[in-house]
Amino acid sequence: MDTLLLARLQFATTTSIHFLFVIVTLGLVTLLVGLQTAWVITGNPKYERLTRFWGQLYVINYVLGIATGIVMEFQFGLNWSGLSRYVGNVFGAPLAIETLVAFFLESTFLGMWIFGWHRLRRGVHLALLWGVALTAYASAFWILVANAWLQNPVGYEVRDGVAHLTDFSALLTNPTLGMAFGHVVSAALLVGGVLMAAVSAGHLIRRTTDHALHRTALRIGLVTAALSITLVQGFGFAQFAPVGSVQPTKFGGGGDEAQAMIAEWTARFGPGDYTPPVLASAGLGFMIMIGFTLGALWLLVPLLWRDWIIRLRFPLWLLLLALPLPFVAAILGWIAREVGRQPWVAYGLLPVDQAVSPVGAPAMLTSLIGFSLLLGTLAVTNWVLIARHAARGAQDPGLGRPPGQPLDLRTEPTFA
Amino acid sequence: MELTWYVLLGLFFGTYLVLGGYDYGVGLSLARNGDPGRRRAALNAVGPFFLGNEVWLVAAVGILFGAFPVLEGELLSGFYPAVLVALAGVILVTAGVQLRSRPSHERVRARWDRVVVVGSALAALGWGALLAGLLQGVPRDADGHIVGLTHLVTPFAAAAGLAMVALVAAHGATFLTLRLPAADADRAGRLARRLLPVALAAVGVATVVGLLSERVRATAQQPLAGVLLPALLVTALLVARAALARGRPGVAFTATAATLALPVALVGATLWPYVLVSTTDPSASLTVADAAASTPTLRLLGWLALPLMPALLGFQLMCWWVFRGRTDGRAPVYW
Ligand code: HDD
Ligand code: HEM
Ligand code: HEM
Repeated sequence: MDTLLLARLQFATTTSIHFLFVIVTLGLVTLLVGLQTAWVITGNPKYERLTRFWGQLYVINYVLGIATGIVMEFQFGLNWSGLSRYVGNVFGAPLAIETLVAFFLESTFLGMWIFGWHRLRRGVHLALLWGVALTAYASAFWILVANAWLQNPVGYEVRDGVAHLTDFSALLTNPTLGMAFGHVVSAALLVGGVLMAAVSAGHLIRRTTDHALHRTALRIGLVTAALSITLVQGFGFAQFAPVGSVQPTKFGGGGDEAQAMIAEWTARFGPGDYTPPVLASAGLGFMIMIGFTLGALWLLVPLLWRDWIIRLRFPLWLLLLALPLPFVAAILGWIAREVGRQPWVAYGLLPVDQAVSPVGAPAMLTSLIGFSLLLGTLAVTNWVLIARHAARGAQDPGLGRPPGQPLDLRTEPTFA
Repeated sequence: MELTWYVLLGLFFGTYLVLGGYDYGVGLSLARNGDPGRRRAALNAVGPFFLGNEVWLVAAVGILFGAFPVLEGELLSGFYPAVLVALAGVILVTAGVQLRSRPSHERVRARWDRVVVVGSALAALGWGALLAGLLQGVPRDADGHIVGLTHLVTPFAAAAGLAMVALVAAHGATFLTLRLPAADADRAGRLARRLLPVALAAVGVATVVGLLSERVRATAQQPLAGVLLPALLVTALLVARAALARGRPGVAFTATAATLALPVALVGATLWPYVLVSTTDPSASLTVADAAASTPTLRLLGWLALPLMPALLGFQLMCWWVFRGRTDGRAPVYW
């Protein structure tokens, strides 16, 4: 096993795990902002309970978002020191901005939000959640600025073998950024919507208490999911034009442009295999298939009329079964995007083998196995906890419990 | 301009060690605490600050990447084992603290608490070893790569790692003295008073091992700083102990906080004007200026990030202010 392959495997594993959690964060925080705002405006206690219940699931999910995110951040330096050495002047800037502008505030706000129930004024408490949501979107934006630059390096010039920043605005108008950001954000909303609908469907199938509560959540979740799958499809297809124009070798594009590009690379970097693995196209194909399948969510929307969706019951089962699909699609999408950029870290500028750190294979293997096991175990534990709390229902979430109340009243889930 | 960013980097990492340090110290204190209620109370004393503390690390690495890209790659890959240990520790604490109260069985919670204890120890060990590694120089070649990983395995790195664990433990116990309800603070105070001499001994050993080490002496560019700052650290520990004995936990906490920020200042000042001093090839040493990103990048970061600093600090201050004082029955319990 060579170091390069191990480093790539490690990046793929950890980013994929990271993304499974942050996509839920982005989606749920948007819905939570809606729920808590509705509560503050209408004063209807139903929305308070929904905020607490879904807030609890959101906060549990957030834990792994942080834990895996920290690994991501260190990984660039640990395993890809060539990246910072050759393109760090340009690539590092959006990442630095992101940590300072977005993450730093996001976590600070979230800590205050969790412990601020019953302590802060309602308006302040709500503003904190808005802050969490805005900074979460900002962080996704800046991360994608960095990633878009790897897909299509712009706004730089190479001096002494090192890239220097010349035009920051080019990073922000990168053709590989705009549609990708729209696609990722709507994919996150889709995930949030499907998750909310599926968990509520579970409660409605089991006929647990709080029928009215879960009915509301089901409606919110389904409508959100339906609206966002359309956005996902729109932004998805809109990506083909920019990708085709700046990355002709992606997705089996063997046309003239690709040939010309490969000829140019061969002249500049020497002969080599400049076609990305077919895995990229396979990922793309399956993602689009899932995308079309989920388009069927629209068929369930009319059933909201007179609660037919609940009375017929089988639509609830369909929603439960659909839960894994958007997650799988999201990972496939990243495989398409990242594997399709091979063999470059920065497309046409820095090959992967020059970016990998000069550490030995044993150290890399240790870190790959160690972090895969650690994060994998934590991820599974986290999902089990989310599932248990989802099943336990909205009776008494730990989040936002009034102080002085006896703790941990109920330990049994309403359905198991 | 490089200097500003270098100071900022030190400030963020130092603040992380101070704030994250009491998280880990409180984490370590769980090992000596058999009572589930008291363990939970200790974690909830950290409660609202916990998430805001570790972002200082995230931001420090962000600054490292944005403003010192070359150093980022060299430092993290060159100190691979130390960074892996610290990182694993940070993750275990992050997950352990936030998840430990999600299951309701006390047995499961106790198991998570052990995860927190181990994570806290690993994090402190890793950062201590990393700082020591910088002080003892690295085998950096003319081509700019640090060769091998065994350069880290020295008595000095081990002593510094252990000293960091001791410092963090004392700092955490002092924090609890300041923050727990008055009735429980006495216990924490007794623990802190027992831990401070241990920290003093550990720091003393690390200093002596360092002064005896050929490599450390050769690496130090500003020997005066290398002697003065450890002396200051020892003084701060003595102040902390005296303050605790007089029932002044606020002063004691300020002093233990200083003991965690000083190691960062020590590394920065002793190596100046270098960040990485090569033990094999003097011309391969990396200066702060060489490690920094090029001017357009620094200027961009300056325009975008510096105006935001007051907001970042402001919201952290707001968090400390809103949740100031000792925890009491009114405090929400979540961790
Ligand atoms: C919920 C998940 C999900 C679903 C249902 C879809 N996608 Fe997607 N797709 C993603 C989640 C995603 C993603 C994970 O968010 C990616 C990875 C990188 C990115 O920008 O978005 C992505 C990437 C991605 C790319 C690669 C862009 C590049 O290589 O730079 C294309 C062309 C599409 N998508 C197109 C589509 C189409 C035409 C879809 C359906 C009709 C579709 N996606 C459904
Ligand atoms: C969060 C969603 C992401 C996922 C799921 C993802 C997935 C992947 C995968 C599958 C690989 C391995 C490709 C291969 O086989 O070579 C990879 C590599 C890589 N990705 Fe991503 N990626 C994501 C986002 C990002 C972002 C936002 C960045 C940059 C800021 C990034 C930077 C890299 C780098 C540096 C590599 C290693 C070099 C390489 O092998 O090409 N990734 N990623
Ligand atoms: C498109 C891909 C990505 C998206 C949308 C994304 C988004 C997010 C979000 C929303 C969070 C907040 C925590 C949470 O939501 O659970 C987060 C955490 C984090 N992410 Fe990512 N991320 C992506 C990829 C990356 C990459 C490539 C890195 C590496 C630099 C990274 C570094 C981090 C760090 C360090 C944290 C923890 C911050 C904290 O302590 O609050 N992320 N990410």
